[in-house]
Amino acid sequence: MAGTTPAWRHWIGEFLGLLIGLAALITVFGLTTDHFLSGTHLRTIANQIPSAVLVATGMTCVLILGQIDLSVGSVLGFAGAMLGVAMTRWHLPLPLAVALALAVGAICGAFNGLVSMRWRLPTFIVTLGMLEMARGAAHAVTGSQTQYIGSAVGRLADASILGFSLPFLVALVVVVATHILMVKTVFGRYTVAIGTNEEAARLSGIDPRGVKLSVFIGTGVLSALAAVIDTSRFQAANPNAGLGLELNAIAAAVIGGTSLMGGRGSVLRTFLGVVIIAVLNSGLAAIGAKDEIKRLITGAVIIAAVIVDVYRQRGVRRPA
Amino acid sequence: MTSRSSTSASFPALLAALLTLILAGCGPSDAPSPPGATEAAKASSKPRVALIMKSLANEFFLTMENGARAHQKAHAADYELLANGIKDELDVARQIDMVEQMIAQKVDAIVIAPADSKALVAACAKAQAAGMVVVNIDNKFDQAVLDEKKVRIPFVGPDNRRGARKVGDHLAKQLKPGDAVAIIDGAPNAFNAVQRQLGFADAMAAAGMKVVTAQSGYWETDKANQVAAAMITEHPQLKALLCANDSMALGAVAALRAAGKQGQVLVVGYDNIGAVQSLLKEGRILATADQHADQIAVFGIEYALDLLKSGVAPADKETPVELVTAPAPTR
Repeated sequence: MAGTTPAWRHWIGEFLGLLIGLAALITVFGLTTDHFLSGTHLRTIANQIPSAVLVATGMTCVLILGQIDLSVGSVLGFAGAMLGVAMTRWHLPLPLAVALALAVGAICGAFNGLVSMRWRLPTFIVTLGMLEMARGAAHAVTGSQTQYIGSAVGRLADASILGFSLPFLVALVVVVATHILMVKTVFGRYTVAIGTNEEAARLSGIDPRGVKLSVFIGTGVLSALAAVIDTSRFQAANPNAGLGLELNAIAAAVIGGTSLMGGRGSVLRTFLGVVIIAVLNSGLAAIGAKDEIKRLITGAVIIAAVIVDVYRQRGVRRPA
Repeated sequence: MTSRSSTSASFPALLAALLTLILAGCGPSDAPSPPGATEAAKASSKPRVALIMKSLANEFFLTMENGARAHQKAHAADYELLANGIKDELDVARQIDMVEQMIAQKVDAIVIAPADSKALVAACAKAQAAGMVVVNIDNKFDQAVLDEKKVRIPFVGPDNRRGARKVGDHLAKQLKPGDAVAIIDGAPNAFNAVQRQLGFADAMAAAGMKVVTAQSGYWETDKANQVAAAMITEHPQLKALLCANDSMALGAVAALRAAGKQGQVLVVGYDNIGAVQSLLKEGRILATADQHADQIAVFGIEYALDLLKSGVAPADKETPVELVTAPAPTR
């Protein structure tokens, strides 16, 4: 569908609404606060979003596949807990501890994929189970105590290239790579096909199992990578980290126009969704808005974004 | 699908097992004992004390419960302990269920850290009417609701406002009158969050500081981090961040580090969790408050046992809150 329209028109259609929305938010906050438009503030936002970007990227792929992963926040908590315990109690060197955390993410993702496929369970149920299990495991390994690690892990987040933190650059690379994977490769096309109509995909010779398993493992690993980044920023691993993150990730994906019914979505637009939520949070905090107002506005923006997306889709479809 | 009928037969069973697992996660850790066992326990002279906690996923309440369990072990001859917590700190309905379960079990005393200072009053009044001793710990019941229900439930616990005041007073000594400060609050519907904010505000007002903004970090590191980052860019003149718990102080410290403002803005917390010990030593967190979590439930239980023995009219009892500051450099 997308490939037939000229590239530039396609790009404008894809991103115009989101970019206008983002520009509007930045303008409003720029006018209502004193320092919002400063380089420091924008850099601060850039340094805050990497973990949300990574988790939302994984979530977008799962949603395109027509599935859902409710366990991303808990897996983030569990992987971070393992990282913390590995460094503070087992005294593993940083690279080994990071590898362990990523392995935890991969195992949780593999469990989600394998169990739901083996017994044909809805991923909603399996990942809901994992949401509990991974959170429980995070508390079990840490004894429910935040593990303070210190600068041994902090140096990852402190590293910066051209003023951007290492985590931000990692997140950008992951977004671009995942985007290419989803739109330019056979794997991506299979993912969309399965998400659109799994039975039809199967009948046309696509084996959905490998794709599903890969997407869930990938999402688990991205959650774990987000855990490494968060742990590094806070120099501490908190077993409650990532609580409720699954809903934020879904919100970002939905703002970016991802369909909860599968078959449609874009990692790049999800990235903009994350940025919009981050700008909104940061701007409302800069104004000093009351918490009830913050929540009202955030919810309203999500719904407004989805309504705008309905029009965007009509616009894209009309020429075809 | 028909080719795998053997597996699809197990589908409902597995689903049920999974759901049981999930539900068990919210259930009490000590399953209600069968009626026979209840009678047997009733027959023995040892009083049975039910400890009903908030979320055990919270380090503070876990420490509290562990303190209670250790106390029970040391006093095994004196009483039996039924300790339960809820999964989610805000799951008020689940906690009410738990109180009713304990009434049905005919325990002798209920020691409760209510998740909501108003919603739990009715259930506890019912327990009192059923002849049980009820002691309120940690989070004080709302006085207006107690009056309206015409019940008196003794409170044993720390004064969060006074604790926060101590932390704020200590911070004020490092500042000049007129300095700009910001407060990062806990969850706005929590009584102790409100008390801590009041305590911080009291201290800042007394010392002549200017609170330029106060916003909620919902007790969490990452939410506090976002709020703190926005505060320090929007108010570059800030001299201090007062955080209603230590997890949020960790987030504030990270925000300062990211903004390159370490050492320019002071941070204080509350709770004295293990994770802030080295930050206190390094001076990156100036002070926190220790409410001796491991002792709070113990005080409540001892209080309940005293009441069971003497039946004396209940009075409130304040437990100590200690200011914790960076240790003086020994070098």
